[in-house]
Amino acid sequence: MPSSFWTVAWAVAAKDLKIEWRTKTAFASSIVFAVLVLAVFYFARDPTAVAALDIAPGALWVTFTFAAMLGLNRAFLLEKENRALDGILLAPVPRSAVFLGKLVGNLAFVAVVEFVSLPLFVLFYDLAIWRQLPTLIGVMAMATVAFVSVGTLLSSMVVRTRFAELMLPILLLPFLIPPVVGAVQLTSRVLAERPLSDLVGWLKLLASFDIIFVALCFFLFEATLEE
Amino acid sequence: MAIALLGLVGVYVRALVFTPIERTQGPAQKIFYVHAPAAWAALLAFAVAGILSLIYLWLRERKLDTIAESSAEVGLAFSIVMLTTGPIWGKPIWGTWWSWDARLTSTLFIFLLFVGYKVLRGAIVDPEMRARYSAVIGIMALVLVPFIHMTVYLFRTLHPDPVLMKPGRPALPGVMLITLLISIGVFTLLYVGFLMQRYALAVLRDVREEEAASAIP
Amino acid sequence: MQYPDNGAYMVAAYIIVAVVVLLYGISLAVRIKKER
Repeated sequence: MPSSFWTVAWAVAAKDLKIEWRTKTAFASSIVFAVLVLAVFYFARDPTAVAALDIAPGALWVTFTFAAMLGLNRAFLLEKENRALDGILLAPVPRSAVFLGKLVGNLAFVAVVEFVSLPLFVLFYDLAIWRQLPTLIGVMAMATVAFVSVGTLLSSMVVRTRFAELMLPILLLPFLIPPVVGAVQLTSRVLAERPLSDLVGWLKLLASFDIIFVALCFFLFEATLEE
Repeated sequence: MAIALLGLVGVYVRALVFTPIERTQGPAQKIFYVHAPAAWAALLAFAVAGILSLIYLWLRERKLDTIAESSAEVGLAFSIVMLTTGPIWGKPIWGTWWSWDARLTSTLFIFLLFVGYKVLRGAIVDPEMRARYSAVIGIMALVLVPFIHMTVYLFRTLHPDPVLMKPGRPALPGVMLITLLISIGVFTLLYVGFLMQRYALAVLRDVREEEAASAIP
Repeated sequence: MQYPDNGAYMVAAYIIVAVVVLLYGISLAVRIKKER
């Protein structure tokens, strides 16, 4: 049965999310981790000199990216455990569909973590964000796509190396600079209710990063799964 | 090959002795004559590694990967020169060891990227897989660099820091320009020499690995 | 003509360059010797 591109992608994503849903360990630990980082950041300042609002955007994005990294590390580890990766490699399906499935699965995972920690962030840092919420969610979506796509590609390689847990952050962090710096800048501007014209430069950067790196990751993924 | 390297070191020393003739903004300005060529050699080395990575994924020629590996390592050595002489020049001229200016930050991250590249190579045993994975990282790094540059540029221009205004590059008088060009030439030769040495080493190592692999079964 | 007194920085930089380049060259030579 020749399965279409989209069915394959969906099957891979659904399988990952189903496994996640059954165990819930990764979700639970990522969310607990996110809460802890948010709390630690609140105290990692001099309260008389630095307002909580000033460090809020940075705290938010460090939390998101590090929590996401926990999830990403796990994404391909699942495939490695029972040599499931060999099964995927043998299947007569386009590799890019497998990548899309993995990407969607990871995005869903990170999105859940983000949407659970966002209200906590608002609560902890005492922010009034209702009016800016749609813009903020837009920024979150763009930056998340950026680092999850790169992270998915890198984690597909890293799982088959030694010291996989160490390797992912070393390789991934440089790639996080543009999206995370952009996201932090945008978040602080959005929270300060600055006009759209102040956001355009960073939005353009994020958008071009998304387009170029998602395309590049699709293209390069075929080279990471061979044999 | 080793003799060529020694010759290169000789030429390099000659440039060092030749340099002190010119002075304008104090002796520290002369750091420029080693800093800029080292930066040039480092970026050249990384660019070669990145481009060879791209060609490797296309042609799958083992040799390309070996050269890319060698070039990346030589680039790391030149980066260390660049990243140490930079702050030493910055302290007397800018008044600070480090400034987060676009070029500085980009080169720092290129350096870290290729450290990651090297660490990744060390963590994979199978040579074919190592070649593919590091080629992927090489290509990604090549694409990432302009983004980092843009990021820092955007960050800077929106928050200008008046204390650290970078002086516009002074038009160099002829004699100094010649010294700089000689130095760039020497560093390029040094790069080629190191690259050849490192490549020879990589080839020896591959032969050794293959011998070991065929001896076991 | 008065120059800023920063010759020490220059000397330090040139020494570091020489040391790094030599050390890398030596490390290459040593590693090649070990492989042979």
